[in-house]
Amino acid sequence: MPSSARPARLFAVLTFVVLTIAPARCFHTDEEGSIAPLAPAAGRVDPGLGPGTRALSSGPGYKGSPSWSPGGGRIAFTVDGYVMDKPTESGGLRRWTTRDFVARDTEWTSDDTLTMLGAAPASPSREETRRSLYRAHTGGDSLKLEKIARGVLAMSPGPDGDGLIFAFDRGAYESGLALTRGSAEVYKIYPKPIEGRVASLSLSPSGDEAVVAVRPEGDPETSELRTFDLRTGEGKEVTRLDGKREILGTPQWTKQGLFFVAGKQSTPVDEDGSEPLYDLYRVPEGGDAPEPAPGVGEDFVAASISVSPDGSRLAVIGRLNPKSPTNLYVLEPATKSLEAVTANEDMEIKTGPDDLMWSPDGKSVAIVARGTPSTEPEVRADPVDRLLRDFYNLYEIPVSGDTPQ
Amino acid sequence: MRDVLFWLSGAALAFFITAGAFLLLANLATVPSEKSLAPDPASGGSGAAVELELDAERLAALRPLPDQSLDLRVKNEGATRLLDVNVVLTVSSENTALPNTRFYRRTVEKVAAGGATGVHFEFDLSDAEQPAAGRPASEPARKILEIRATTPEGVSTVRTVILPP
Repeated sequence: MPSSARPARLFAVLTFVVLTIAPARCFHTDEEGSIAPLAPAAGRVDPGLGPGTRALSSGPGYKGSPSWSPGGGRIAFTVDGYVMDKPTESGGLRRWTTRDFVARDTEWTSDDTLTMLGAAPASPSREETRRSLYRAHTGGDSLKLEKIARGVLAMSPGPDGDGLIFAFDRGAYESGLALTRGSAEVYKIYPKPIEGRVASLSLSPSGDEAVVAVRPEGDPETSELRTFDLRTGEGKEVTRLDGKREILGTPQWTKQGLFFVAGKQSTPVDEDGSEPLYDLYRVPEGGDAPEPAPGVGEDFVAASISVSPDGSRLAVIGRLNPKSPTNLYVLEPATKSLEAVTANEDMEIKTGPDDLMWSPDGKSVAIVARGTPSTEPEVRADPVDRLLRDFYNLYEIPVSGDTPQ
Repeated sequence: MRDVLFWLSGAALAFFITAGAFLLLANLATVPSEKSLAPDPASGGSGAAVELELDAERLAALRPLPDQSLDLRVKNEGATRLLDVNVVLTVSSENTALPNTRFYRRTVEKVAAGGATGVHFEFDLSDAEQPAAGRPASEPARKILEIRATTPEGVSTVRTVILPP
């Protein structure tokens, strides 16, 4: 090789090496110790309750008492004692009550009439104020509340969401029953009183009879189950629970008889330190002795129940056994079959008597649940009013494989 | 001379091939995993060039008392400088019946492209009002911080912090 060509070759090789070895680029992660937010949820979600679940509300607030409008287009519920309603699809939230009213329950009595049960906030120095029943017509421009009755003990919607039955305090440890239809201004009062204090009530699928849970006068350790024929105005006792047992929540009337949840009276903890456990009972048609509800298993712990619109099924919030997670089940009394419709992983499902409701078409059930709160700060990449799992929110759970649209 | 030209040509060819390969790789490169957790545009993150960074230890140190403070960083992940970024801290309660929502605002004058600027907030996390007796509510109600950074062009990002009771 001629000596004059060497520098040129060397130069070319060096040029090649420099141009073909790109500078190394270091990719490094930031080490600030920051919290990466969770990706936001949207649309049909699975917050740990199973597939097909749809959120019906969002954001903070202690929610409860879901109630579908008869047409299924709106859902009402309570939030921190206020009554709200919104379309079941997208749409704005409306608030119906103010700070001087604490709502306990709300029900649609027609597609444009909302009824609410509540009272003024209790002061520490006084007994709880007597509850009153109010009605609001949602179709007009004004959100005006109209008082219907005072001293109301319990209420329940009528069949197909038409009207309402409620129990009121008649004094002298007697209760009365009254019935409204649709958005009618007047209601029918049944003259014959019920002895004792009505704790809860609901109507039969036909709407002709009511079942009531009653505390007899002067006997706080007993609960009674009675039926009341709205056609004749006559009532009769079905069963009596002694031995400090109580009926929990609202008894339900199915085509196969009455169902109710009962157990030892509420105490913070049982004598052995465990929480009180409640069982599901059934009173067969024409019978008067309650029996453990067939199909749920002897270890089943029941919390709250709700009969389907056609009376053929019972939604049950409970646990297969005391160590199982709480889930939503559907019991078919005719076949004695129990189906789990949620697959709860780590959600807290509310178990109050008014915290579940069937949709008017019987294809889904609304429940209230939240994720287990963390003991550490949680960071989310969404505005607070769009968060779901972090707070109690309403969820629509499809039943029997039907996915709500 | 011919040899020199041959080698120079080869070097130039190698350069262009290599440069082309790197350009191709740059277009196919994915975003590092920590950036893939950024909120999607539909949810309110708006594909923003502005991001918020919070420190876990600082958040854990917050207490339901007056005179709390929080340092956070506003990051500019875009290619142009951000000016006058409005940062609003909202303090509220999980109990929506409590009316004591508080707002605090800071303005970040500028954030260089690819850079970050610190923001300091001092605020009151105490309960100004006790819950009304008899009103059902989550007990104990947790405190919520919502931090939103917005540019004058309307680009914004939000972080919500839920503090344990």
